[in-house]
Amino acid sequence: MASVRALSRPTRGLPLSQISRQTSASVRRWASSQAAEAPLEDLEDSALGAPPLSEEEKKTFRPWKRQADRKFALPSGRYNYHAPKYDRGPLHPVQPLPSSEPTARDFVPGPFNLPRLRQTYLSTVASDIMTLTYSHIPPGTPKKEAPQRLREWDDSSPYHKNRSLRAPRGAPVLPLIERDINFTNIPEIKEITLAAYVPAALQDMDNLLVARAALLAITGVLPEMTKTKTNVQQWKIRAGEFAGCKVTMRGNEAYEFLDRCVNLVFPKIKDWRGIKASTGDSSGNLAWGFTPEELKLFPEMEVNMGMYPPKMVPGCRVYVKTTATSDRQARLLLQSMGLPFYGEVKN
Amino acid sequence: MPKLPTSGLQVLRRPTLNITPSTVSSPSASPLLPQTQLRHATFIPRHRRPYKFTQLVQLSDGSTYTVRTTSPVAFHKSAKDTRNHILWQPTDRSLRNVEVDEAGKLAAFRERYGRGWDAEEPAADAAPAEAAAEAKKEDDPFDSLVGLISDFAAGTTNNTAGGLSAKEQAKKDKGGKKK
Repeated sequence: MASVRALSRPTRGLPLSQISRQTSASVRRWASSQAAEAPLEDLEDSALGAPPLSEEEKKTFRPWKRQADRKFALPSGRYNYHAPKYDRGPLHPVQPLPSSEPTARDFVPGPFNLPRLRQTYLSTVASDIMTLTYSHIPPGTPKKEAPQRLREWDDSSPYHKNRSLRAPRGAPVLPLIERDINFTNIPEIKEITLAAYVPAALQDMDNLLVARAALLAITGVLPEMTKTKTNVQQWKIRAGEFAGCKVTMRGNEAYEFLDRCVNLVFPKIKDWRGIKASTGDSSGNLAWGFTPEELKLFPEMEVNMGMYPPKMVPGCRVYVKTTATSDRQARLLLQSMGLPFYGEVKN
Repeated sequence: MPKLPTSGLQVLRRPTLNITPSTVSSPSASPLLPQTQLRHATFIPRHRRPYKFTQLVQLSDGSTYTVRTTSPVAFHKSAKDTRNHILWQPTDRSLRNVEVDEAGKLAAFRERYGRGWDAEEPAADAAPAEAAAEAKKEDDPFDSLVGLISDFAAGTTNNTAGGLSAKEQAKKDKGGKKK
């Protein structure tokens, strides 16, 4: 019936018997010898070649009559598919679409650009870091075995058999061990988190709204609200109340944010010396802070400062999480992206 | 015609965890809790994100690039950025904090009171001095000689450049007036 769909609109109104008569009139050969004679025939099923309607056929062509006689309504021209609103589990017959599908509810279009800093990273920074940190190990050198940092059980009890090893004393979590950089683990930026603690929101909720609007404007991602964790009598803080917000940027957004910080915001800060080199959690995540005055230097904030009451603009902390396994490597990555450091290096 | 089996008339039921009197009587199972496995529907939220504009950013050296931002301004021209900041352009002489002394007032001041009131120079001078000191520690006679010379040179330059300190100069002047 594909050929029926390709017929022109007046022909479609005809009863089926007539159409079948027309198509049978121009019997089509599928042999390849015919291709040379009519080269365009293969390209498209055109209705232009159909013979014109005779006077008798024109009289019988009455689409309005067909519509009036129709007992049921045709489906509307725009068939709207709505992706399921709920995920009802893997065994349910109605399954949600994957988020990569444009009709899925959680589909996010994009990316719409390749940020400048990411281009620089991909083309220059990554290979530079890999080359400059290369340390040659002659082939045949025996591999260094990493020391066992977990404690073993003394087999004083028969129940110690097959037990998993114990965590070290004092620290339940093992710190990361720095790995040498090779082509598989060149450090890159994983995500950037901005967090603003707004204790004034306990008295006046407007502070929180302003903080949220400011972070939203700066990052382009909707912040989520955070609650206080503990009661502090002296500061009039009760646990479980909204007193802050945070945003996490990943991928392109993170790169654009870092680019904006480095190129537009940091140079505008008065007497700015760089980021303290002692920052870092010893596993490749660096952080710094913005005071309210510094936050106002972002071009997105500058463009409509009238929206934010000047006294309510919060400061915020910025956490840059990288895939580097030590602060050393993370600093190397950020330095190559144009972030200066000053002061004493800790780890 | 074959006879229908009588067993077919029985209602076939799927095995369910219906609450029977025996399970109710057991102390562990509560009659209020659902006995069948539950899989509630999970709401799939739509993403909430602001509209992002494409903005052309021009740095102070005239270079341009586009960014996606929430700012509705199509063109952002920055006055101060990495291209005209001394921290990122340490070799740019025009960005140095060079004093302008067209009227010669600063020169006149220095002529009278010396350079004791000048702002302290950053560690550019200190670093070579330290390096020289380290070189001196080494036992190579040639190195120690070089260190000695450089030390001497540094000392002489300091003496010539410093002149009298402002306080000494002031004392001297006072003394002259008294006489």
